[in-house]
Amino acid sequence: MSESVHDRALQLIAQGRVEGIAEVDGAWLRAHLEECEFCAAHARQTDRALRSLRTAVIPLPDGLASRTQFRVRLRAQELREREPKRRALWVACAVSWVFGVASAPYVWSLFQWLGQRTGVPKLVWEAGFGLWWSIPALFAVAVLLMESSRKGEQTDWINQGS
Amino acid sequence: MPGPTLFFSTLMGDEAKSIARGLQKRDPDLLDRLIEQYQYRLFRYLVYVTGNRERAEDFFQETWIRVLERGHQYDGKSKFEAWLFAIARHLVIDWQRSKKAQSLDTLTDPEQEHPLQLANETDPSPLHQVLSQETQENVQASLQKIPAIYREILVLRFQEELQIDEMAGVLSVPLSTVKSRLYRGLEALRGALQGSAVL
Repeated sequence: MSESVHDRALQLIAQGRVEGIAEVDGAWLRAHLEECEFCAAHARQTDRALRSLRTAVIPLPDGLASRTQFRVRLRAQELREREPKRRALWVACAVSWVFGVASAPYVWSLFQWLGQRTGVPKLVWEAGFGLWWSIPALFAVAVLLMESSRKGEQTDWINQGS
Repeated sequence: MPGPTLFFSTLMGDEAKSIARGLQKRDPDLLDRLIEQYQYRLFRYLVYVTGNRERAEDFFQETWIRVLERGHQYDGKSKFEAWLFAIARHLVIDWQRSKKAQSLDTLTDPEQEHPLQLANETDPSPLHQVLSQETQENVQASLQKIPAIYREILVLRFQEELQIDEMAGVLSVPLSTVKSRLYRGLEALRGALQGSAVL
């Protein structure tokens, strides 16, 4: 019997345990194992190795589940307590944006009037208006982004598992 | 009439969806039930990956805290246990990274100089302390000889009975890598058990 025949048999033995083999390959392998003691022993060893792995027993620590359940419930309570604060932050940002957008035309007129009264160049009071309107909004965006990025730090790798 | 395979896969899909809904709501009763239900499998997986019982206990608790915090990210499209093991695994890797300040690739690639080996192979057999039944001493001693990266994949396939694509999700590697690790792991296990005259 040639080397390559045994190589094929050993490969099929492993493949059969890992991902399965086609019926025709299985039939060929069974016939080969009946007449080749070396490959048959290899197949038996592989099966025993897997049986040993499957039957390995690891004793559970006492009270592991109950301790974990307790910790999880405590953490759940903390999260519930924190939830209204986070919601309040979002509501405050939303209200300030709505108010900012709604009041923009009036504030623009106010800046325009002040600019004319004080005689500053148009570009200066326009820039003043831009800063007045955008800085609080940018600050709120920055706070929310920081909050989201902190929350999302582990999102990527957790999603990889799903 | 649908076959039994379709019936069971629909049943499992419904179960996963119901878990996803419960996790969205952070349902404490559901979490209690999941902790009970998966305690042995998760702890066993962590022991094999870390090689250390105390550390496995710590990671076990941290994993469930993460499940609580990130439960809304589980969509119920995959098996819950695959998602659970992915969380546990990444916690272990994050911890290992912070300890050793190595890259993830270096840690997880067995062909590199520093494969995933949380258990110090020169220490007096922490895994052995965990797997202490006398009748299994040789088996467990042999398992210690296998690199953790192979122990892990063998556990996922032959104890947890995850499918190859599910393992690819847990390990964040391509299917071909899963298969090659499985073949190498199987050969390493057979060789280790044969070497210790268990077979």
